[in-house]
Amino acid sequence: MQSLRWAWSYIRNHKFRLYSGLLLALAVSALNMVNPYLAGKIVDDVMFAGNTGLLWPLLATMIGITVVRTCVRYGYQIMFEKMSQSVIFTMRENLYNRLLQLDFSFYNRTKTGDIMARMTGDMEAIRHFTAWTIYMIFENATILIFAIIFMFTIHPPLTVAIIAIAPIIGFFAYRLSRDVKPTFTEIRNQFARLNSVVQENISGNRVVKAFAKESYEIEKFSIENEAFKDRNLQSAKVWEKNLPVLDSLAGVLTVVMILVGGTMVISGSLTIGELVVFNSLIWALNNPMRMAGWLINDVQRFIASAEKVEDLLETKSQITNGDEQNIQATVGTVEFNNVYFSYGDGMVLEDLSFVAQPGQTVGIIGPTGSGKSTLVNLLSRFYDCTCGDIKVGGINVKEWDIHKLRSSMGMVMQDIFLFSDTIEGNIAYGNPTATLEEVYEAARKAEAHDFITSMPEGYDTIVGERGVGLSGGQKQRIALARALLKDPNILILDDTTSSVDMETEERIQHTLHSIQENKTCFIIAHRISSVKDADVILVMDDGRIIERGTHEELLLKRGYYYNVFQNQYGNFDIHLMARK
Amino acid sequence: MARNKFNVDEELETPFNFVHLKRLLTYLKPYKTKIMVTVLIMLAASGANLIGPYLIKQAIDEEIPSKDVQGLVILGVIYLGALTITGICMKYRIRMMSQIGHSVIKNIRKDLFTHLQKLSFSFFDSRPHGKILVRVVNYVNSLSDLLSNGLINLITDLFSLFVIIGFMLAIDVKLTMYAMAGFPVLAGIIFIIKNAQRKAWQNLSNKQSNMNAYIHESINGIKVTQAFVREEENKKIFYGVSNGYRGAWLRAVKIQFLLWPSIENISVLTVSLVYVIGISMIGDGITVGALVAFIGYIWMFWTPLANIGNFYNAIINASAYLERIFEMMDEKPTISSVPGANELPLIKGKVEFENVVFGYEESERNLDSINFKANPGESIAIVGPTGSGKTTIVSLISRFYDINSGAIKIDDIDIKSVTISSLRKQMGVMLQDPFIFSGTIMDNIRYGRLDATDEEVIEAAKAVQAHQFIMGLRDGYRTEVNERGSVLSNGQRQLISFARALLADPKILILDEATSSIDTETELALQKGLEALLSGRTSFIIAHRLSTIQNASKILFIEKGKIIEEGTHEELIQQRGYYWKLYTSHYSSLDAG
Ligand SMILES: Nc1ncnc2c1ncn2[C@@H]1O[C@H](COP(=O)(O)OP(=O)(O)O)[C@@H](O)[C@H]1O
Ligand SMILES: Nc1ncnc2c1ncn2[C@@H]1O[C@H](COP(=O)(O)OP(=O)(O)O)[C@@H](O)[C@H]1O
Ligand SMILES: [Mg+2]
Ligand SMILES: [Mg+2]
Repeated sequence: MQSLRWAWSYIRNHKFRLYSGLLLALAVSALNMVNPYLAGKIVDDVMFAGNTGLLWPLLATMIGITVVRTCVRYGYQIMFEKMSQSVIFTMRENLYNRLLQLDFSFYNRTKTGDIMARMTGDMEAIRHFTAWTIYMIFENATILIFAIIFMFTIHPPLTVAIIAIAPIIGFFAYRLSRDVKPTFTEIRNQFARLNSVVQENISGNRVVKAFAKESYEIEKFSIENEAFKDRNLQSAKVWEKNLPVLDSLAGVLTVVMILVGGTMVISGSLTIGELVVFNSLIWALNNPMRMAGWLINDVQRFIASAEKVEDLLETKSQITNGDEQNIQATVGTVEFNNVYFSYGDGMVLEDLSFVAQPGQTVGIIGPTGSGKSTLVNLLSRFYDCTCGDIKVGGINVKEWDIHKLRSSMGMVMQDIFLFSDTIEGNIAYGNPTATLEEVYEAARKAEAHDFITSMPEGYDTIVGERGVGLSGGQKQRIALARALLKDPNILILDDTTSSVDMETEERIQHTLHSIQENKTCFIIAHRISSVKDADVILVMDDGRIIERGTHEELLLKRGYYYNVFQNQYGNFDIHLMARK
Repeated sequence: MARNKFNVDEELETPFNFVHLKRLLTYLKPYKTKIMVTVLIMLAASGANLIGPYLIKQAIDEEIPSKDVQGLVILGVIYLGALTITGICMKYRIRMMSQIGHSVIKNIRKDLFTHLQKLSFSFFDSRPHGKILVRVVNYVNSLSDLLSNGLINLITDLFSLFVIIGFMLAIDVKLTMYAMAGFPVLAGIIFIIKNAQRKAWQNLSNKQSNMNAYIHESINGIKVTQAFVREEENKKIFYGVSNGYRGAWLRAVKIQFLLWPSIENISVLTVSLVYVIGISMIGDGITVGALVAFIGYIWMFWTPLANIGNFYNAIINASAYLERIFEMMDEKPTISSVPGANELPLIKGKVEFENVVFGYEESERNLDSINFKANPGESIAIVGPTGSGKTTIVSLISRFYDINSGAIKIDDIDIKSVTISSLRKQMGVMLQDPFIFSGTIMDNIRYGRLDATDEEVIEAAKAVQAHQFIMGLRDGYRTEVNERGSVLSNGQRQLISFARALLADPKILILDEATSSIDTETELALQKGLEALLSGRTSFIIAHRLSTIQNASKILFIEKGKIIEEGTHEELIQQRGYYWKLYTSHYSSLDAG
């Protein structure tokens, strides 16, 4: 019911199409009765009575009605299709908008294949329902109701006798709808799993091939593929138990009619003529009841899918938008005050405090998993900190309009993602309206212009999924250009030059220096050379800042930073330097 | 190789023809008997169905007027019997049809997936992954109805059509000819509709594929989208893609729905024709009764015909999917073992490049006359600017791509002459872009060697310094990670894929920037532990940090696809060339600041 109400909230917006479609459908059903009548007339009046003069007008009416009927029918079919497409279109749009809003935590726990399943297969089930099932239910219900009313006006007792078996039919219909629903839910879930296993195989195709694990993958896939078939067969089992019963029971109506009606005729309470009329109407009871089972199936299939779609639509982002619209403060200042953070179990960040002024560069260094990326993720408010507060421009990030906040930042994430688009499109991702010259400029700053122009198609080169076709360092530089093009007040580089050779890195740093004046920069790196010029270097370990200071200060401390320095530069051969 | 984007329709290489349909039928072959049984059952059911009207006529004409209650009851019982038979038939029909339909779907999907595993990187690299996914999952599903209901209905409809034509012929041959007059017209209309419908459905399947690709990529790139506040722009694009799909759908149904009205109008016209001719023939070769019967058949005759028309419709629609499915099945793997290739015997680990020339595309030279030799047990460091071809070199060793000229030999055997899987199974590769599967950490490491025990997995994790952080996770090795490893930091992902490569216990180990996101401390600890593990293995190490490469047996300096320097750390320093420059600049950068 809940799902139906939900679907209705979409269909409601197309009431005009729906109602006029249903009305036309009704008209067509009525017209359907005319041709058999005319055919009967031809037989009676023309053939038997020999009134040949009537033939042409009768035929002309028959043809005329058919033409009108088929045209009207075509019209309302298209109307229903248009309505259902509009409904689906809006739903899909809402789903997509929801996906754009959902936070990182959601994406961390949800498989791509699962979301894909909802956006494709489940939407298809909903489409089928709105385009076809609704109208079928309506048509059958009207036929049924009219037939019953009509029969009732002719002979109430016989009508009651015939529909007396309705409760039995009702019982089986109920049993079907009760038993079949879970099987459809299972099918949908299994469909999502199948989607996921294929999706992952495609995404991970390089690893699969590198380890020659094709047969293992096929095995993994086959389990889900087989299960998908089994789930479908399980559903079919419920049908095969109930649908034939419903179908036969619909036939029993006829038997009841002929037995009860027959005895009534024999006992004189019904004329034979009336029985013949009943007989000619009985299909109008039979057919809808026969269809009932299939329609119940369709409805339940729809509900199973609708629940999944609705579920996704109802998922709320934990990151709620602040409403501070007119922020005048200096955007660049960043302040962490006693920040704690946990992804769910165990603190990942503990008691972080620091301040970064506009124009300053903050270097962050520390072991893998110490929380460096987490720190910058909090800054862009991809997650909310558990306690403490983070201020940007003196205002708590939770109060910021989230889009404004993020617009003021340029971020290069550790896990580089490029879109399968042209290189130009990728660099201009954050500023689709940027001019070509601006794109070139950003690429130059990121030391990417030269290699891009040396490609046969230059900036129009299309990169593959996730940036396939580029070397690791090339991807990083394009991502850097993408961030620089935004001309952000806060620039965040998470391990951005790890795959870039040192010479290029040095040039990049040089450029960064020159554009840094009013920007606050966060540079996460493992190479001392990447962070040594920072105004302050934070050394993180296990979620805490264990050392802070400039390069020189930290070397004097002889702590973690000093050790890293020793490891990277310690065995340096002074003589070589001298000879140079 | 032009790459495809989400908003570009894919070109169809082999257009649909009836060979595809025949090929689809081969999938039905194993179920021949089942199909035949089902058809028989359905015929029995229609037989039982036909009794009904007859029984009623009997009751109204005979039993009731003669007040024969007992006879009436007997008729009722017979009727109930017939209903039971139809019920039972229907039960079997449902069972058989779903079994056949879903088995065929399953088999097609399996064949498609199995073939997909054979395809090379270039296939996956040249199109959005969403477009591959849609073929394997959604396109195959859309065949289900055609297979399960369509085919069996077709057979029974054809059968009834012939029976009806038989009856009609028995009544009057000439009238039957007139009754068939609508056929050529119908055929003509179908022919006209068909072409338009084909195009419309092809277009539709393309639009569906594009939309899927866009959704898929939007999900994968969501973090970037949010970070760059691109939501509004993406909404606009999605609106366009989704609208394209809606438009294509409506265009397709507008054409498809034309078939029904055509059939109905033609049928009414031919029936009228038969009336006119028939009535003029009354008394002149045909009786009124026979004409009435004939006209009854003519009406009946169009129902199966319309059904067949619908089936034809369904085939046209499905062909838009079928051709894509078969196209993928026919896609030739660009890299495959030569026929009769032998297994690569257990190797010692000697690797030789002889004049290797390679380009990702015909016109390019990404590597140019690469020559080097790595002896068993040596570690080879590859350094050079980004984009110089380091990753490319190591990916050739696993034969991810075939070279243009020259030869790559392992233990003096050309890798082209052995089976691909025997080659790759002896290597442990850690790719530059670490990929983590959804599942537990344990499973992810074990991916390197499926029969490894838990202890061996833990051993490998310890060797790469991953044990400690893994134990710190909620469920240790049993912690579930999501696809691409979103629970792990990047460095942790690298460590896991490192452990995976190591666990494969390979004679040749390839580490492509294995430690780029790992801190120096961990890296050093890792190197110490590794020395023992690396002994006896030939290893290729790509790295930018000097501390990682200094100790290699040989360093190759690559620039623009060429080896421009080669030697040990000491030798290269002596040479005072590129490597020396790199080395000193590393330190001089300290002063620069
Ligand atoms: N999405 C997540 N869910 C749960 N735990 C996470 C998630 N991302 C990272 N972690 C954990 O948080 C810790 C810090 O990760 P991260 O900030 O990425 O480290 P790094 O300093 O290497 O950038 C790690 O132990 C990691 O396992
Ligand atoms: N799959 C691919 N298709 C086409 N070109 C590629 C592909 N992979 C890499 N390239 C190109 O080949 C060159 C060498 O790349 P790569 O070997 O990855 O460099 P690196 O030395 O940084 O590892 C680069 O210019 C890159 O753009
Ligand atoms: Mg990180
Ligand atoms: Mg590389």
